[in-house]
Amino acid sequence: MIQPVLDARGISVHYGGVTALDEVDIAVGPGQVVGLIGPNGAGKTTFIDALTGFVRHEGTVRLDGVDLKRKRPHARVQAGLGRTWQAVDLFDDLSVAENIAVAAHRPTLVSTLRELLGATLPQSAAVASSLEALDIAHLAEARPRELAEGQRKLVGIARSLAAAPKVLCLDEPAAGLDTDESAVLGQQLRRLADDGQSMLLIDHDISFVFGTCDHVVVLEFGKVIAAGLPGDVKNDPRVIAAYLGTAAASISGERS
Amino acid sequence: MTQALELRGLSAGYHGSTVVRDLDLRVGRGEVVTLLGPNGAGKTTTLCAISGVIKTHGGSVTLGGEDISSVSPTRRARRGIAHVPEDRGLFFGLTVAEHLKLGRRGEHLDAELAYKYFPALAAITNRRAGVMSGGEQQMLALGRALARQPGLLLLDELSLGLAPVIVERLLPVIRQFADETGCGVLLVEQHVQLALGIADRAYLMGHGEGSTSYDASELLNDTRLIEASYLGGDDLDLESLATDHNQKIYERETQ
Amino acid sequence: MQNILLFSILGLASGAIIATIAIGVVLSWRGSGTINIAAGAVVMVAGYIFWCLRTGYFAPALMMVPAVLLTLVLMALLAVVVEVVAVKPLRTASPLARLVASIGVLLLFQAAVQLVFGTAPVDSPAVLSAEVVEVVGVTVPIAHFILAGVVVVLALALSMLYRFTRFGLATRAASENERSAILAGLSPDSLSLANSVIAYVVAGLVGVLAASVVGVSASTLPLLIVPALAAALLANFTSFGIACAAGLAIGIGESLLFYASTQSWFPTQDGFALPGMQQVAEFFLIVIALWWRGSSLPQRGETAGRSLPPVPRQERLVRRAAPVVLACAVALVVLPSDFRQAVTTGLVATVLCLSFVVIMGYVGQLSVVQLALAGLGAFTVSRLGTEFGIGFPLGPIIAIALATVLGVAIGAAALRVRGITLVVVTLAAAIAIEQFVFANARWGGGQTGAPVESPTLFGVNLGADASFPGLNGTLPSPLFGLLALVGTVVLYAFVANLRRGDLGRRMLAVRSNERAAAAVGVNVRAVKIVAFGIASALAGTAGVMYAYNYSTVSAGSYGIAIALTLVASVYVLGVTLVQGAVLAGFGAIGAVVPLILQKWVLPQDQISIWVQLIIGVGLLVQLKLFPDGLLVGMELKKERRAEHKAQSEPSVVSPRVEEGVPA
Repeated sequence: MIQPVLDARGISVHYGGVTALDEVDIAVGPGQVVGLIGPNGAGKTTFIDALTGFVRHEGTVRLDGVDLKRKRPHARVQAGLGRTWQAVDLFDDLSVAENIAVAAHRPTLVSTLRELLGATLPQSAAVASSLEALDIAHLAEARPRELAEGQRKLVGIARSLAAAPKVLCLDEPAAGLDTDESAVLGQQLRRLADDGQSMLLIDHDISFVFGTCDHVVVLEFGKVIAAGLPGDVKNDPRVIAAYLGTAAASISGERS
Repeated sequence: MTQALELRGLSAGYHGSTVVRDLDLRVGRGEVVTLLGPNGAGKTTTLCAISGVIKTHGGSVTLGGEDISSVSPTRRARRGIAHVPEDRGLFFGLTVAEHLKLGRRGEHLDAELAYKYFPALAAITNRRAGVMSGGEQQMLALGRALARQPGLLLLDELSLGLAPVIVERLLPVIRQFADETGCGVLLVEQHVQLALGIADRAYLMGHGEGSTSYDASELLNDTRLIEASYLGGDDLDLESLATDHNQKIYERETQ
Repeated sequence: MQNILLFSILGLASGAIIATIAIGVVLSWRGSGTINIAAGAVVMVAGYIFWCLRTGYFAPALMMVPAVLLTLVLMALLAVVVEVVAVKPLRTASPLARLVASIGVLLLFQAAVQLVFGTAPVDSPAVLSAEVVEVVGVTVPIAHFILAGVVVVLALALSMLYRFTRFGLATRAASENERSAILAGLSPDSLSLANSVIAYVVAGLVGVLAASVVGVSASTLPLLIVPALAAALLANFTSFGIACAAGLAIGIGESLLFYASTQSWFPTQDGFALPGMQQVAEFFLIVIALWWRGSSLPQRGETAGRSLPPVPRQERLVRRAAPVVLACAVALVVLPSDFRQAVTTGLVATVLCLSFVVIMGYVGQLSVVQLALAGLGAFTVSRLGTEFGIGFPLGPIIAIALATVLGVAIGAAALRVRGITLVVVTLAAAIAIEQFVFANARWGGGQTGAPVESPTLFGVNLGADASFPGLNGTLPSPLFGLLALVGTVVLYAFVANLRRGDLGRRMLAVRSNERAAAAVGVNVRAVKIVAFGIASALAGTAGVMYAYNYSTVSAGSYGIAIALTLVASVYVLGVTLVQGAVLAGFGAIGAVVPLILQKWVLPQDQISIWVQLIIGVGLLVQLKLFPDGLLVGMELKKERRAEHKAQSEPSVVSPRVEEGVPA
């Protein structure tokens, strides 16, 4: 197999006495879209929080061979691990373009000093290109509160893309979208992946995940219970059990 | 017979965006009704609109025959709505015994009732909620709700973070409580089969649009419908199934 | 050894008051989730009410018992009034708005008392026994023990009340999670009111008892909030027992520090003990308490949580600012001297207020240390000139650098806390600087003030006393005013521009959501430190301008009451807009608006107290109308209206918004 871009091994997270994640391994290859699914409370978001350094974790996170273990969240982002949030936290006081510019510009001491002395820094091309990548260039001057939920999601993704991440972790990008919107979003993500963007995708909308991902990992109670191609995972009785309860699994099991 | 709860044309949501549109729903006394549907369909929003934690955009909420649409959430709770939210609504700094004492002046919580339905709680009366296991916390949340002797019980995702086996034990207790006290129960639960196992009726919610009522037993026997709604199979025609179904109910009710 | 015991016991009295204020802070926090900066002022008000009733200031004097009882009743009523006016309307407002409201209450109480009773402390008739007892060979008044005993008993009683009663249970529940409490049928509003009444009555009782032991002073009692905040922090804003014990310990510690200052080994200066050691100790105590408790400070689960006033876009600033600049320039030449002076002071105060716009408006950190940093800059310029012969322009540069370094250090000490908790650190820092530096006869001005040499460049006197008189032939020199105008315009443009630039975007991102900002690669700590640096440099610059403006620096201009008045007025007018700084600047003490009031509306004397009163009242009224600040509220309305218009035409931006409107 090709060297994965993101290689997370043995990720465990404990909250007090509760084990939220237990030795989870996930690898994302170049241009690959990996889906992470599981019932509510299975630890999906916790996994992304751990990867991006927002919760204390055990295990190693390597990005292009670089160990991120000791880096704070913003440094992990700068190293190339981007993420979005379930409830999209757009910066309310900034326009859409400004929101994206925050991610696109990497300040240095020199650039900050120049700015303090009155220089106007050039607008990064990443702002325009990430807006275009998600077909939302017409929203550039809008304020976050004017946006519909689906548009907020797209802006959130565009913002993370602007930082040119090696791997982009998407937390529930399709939640709150209607069927058409999530279909469009799926196509856009697919297009990004075809352009070489690696992604880790969490979502509740199973059909969205199965339709978008190359590889699917199923979590339950902080453990990986299944992993493989979408088609295989979809018919795995353990997965159906995790979603609908044990009774359904036995019914489905009998039927299939 | 008056209903424990009746919603007519309820619309609700957050920050100006509407999540639930034009929902009609009723829960009879002593009846357990479950609200099914994929994530984002607005189940939690519906419960919050009933208990008043979020404001409704339109429609009416009637509790035991009384319109409470413009009543504050505090007063709705006092009128007999017990809402156990997804996060369980516990106070981590308070002990089990303290939770079962907590109420407004003059309100009497029947702690014995809580211990009767959940005997395990009686053994840990002095433990603080913050250090209890998920299962214990859920029992406390339920026990506290029962101790308030509500007329309407709203339960949101009891199984969140719990093993199905624990939920399998909790749910029958709810059924028993409804049967014994006449309390109406509206249940949101992702373990569909478990929920249907104790429910009388179910409402299947789609994305933001109204919902259809089914008999629980019927849905249990017809998993196609639910799987279609949850796993999003394209090969099923939900619409026609629902119409078909409504027709049957209509015929039965008009006979 | 005996002296140590004696001073320990003497410290019990002020310790008891600190403990009471700390208990009041804890009660407010648990009841309504507000850090009540006015808790000290409440004790003072009780002392004055009792004094009035006992001495017959307004009506026939009462006997002791009825006077005590009536005081407590009046305190309970006052609690209800404050709750209705300043707490309840802001329940869903941002925590910053609620904190500012408590500053408003403090300003109002203090100003009202000083206007009615004067600024000198009053001595209340004795309530407690005047007897003395002998403890291990030391003779001490028994009242000190009684006072401390009463506070300990009150703390115990409150602990019991919270632990065992249904009311206490309900308050604990509501302060942990307001939403769950509502679902349980509890009313957070009533609980907040009840806790407030308890806090005021407890403060009333101790205020009455303490009045006769330590006297009542409108200038010192409200400031005991600083050591009380240290005690409350140590108690995690939760435990009455720890708050009480810590308060008493701080009182004893301060008394012992006073004793130590009489000793030969204590650092002295010109034969006197170094002043301000107590306030410096309090500052470090708070910093230590914050590092220890900082991340574990209890957070309230709020039902509605918008954190900070929004930041409207700033457009067409040149067109808006140009007429004002022109008017100032003309005024600086043609107006009579006192008005020219007032315009210049307004410009300088504007620069100071711009520093609030950066730190409070753009980054959302409530800092009240700015005026003290300005003072530091001013005194540095004075001392560099008089003692080291360093004048313009090197002196001001050093002064601004010094203020910046100190501001950054204070900001770094507070990195663990964010938002409103920062007020605790900066309040303590401001008072420490005031007492340690300004009151120091050698470094600061002591009580007399320090002279400032006028700036000269290439032999031309640029200062206010230069020989370029205004049209009526008197000082101050219009040249200085015009230079101040140019400086102010440059800094105004800088701060306005900051908001649009890369750094400003990162500041607003941090303010909006620290986690989300970190998730797009923003170094949150670095942004905060830079913001502290910029704000401190602006404050230092304002200080230098002040110094040159008046040609003398006195500690009185940089007191904490003035600092709080400034913070409050900037917030009320619009802390997220540069225009807010201009309005607040021209309303500051010594600037145009107070001068007009002083000349034609208000009594000549005590203008600063009147302004404080007006700002206090205005703030409370204003917070109800525009909780985000006047200009911000108006600007938002304008934006919304524009949006509405855009929406009524077919919109490409958000077709879904319209569908969302309920039929």
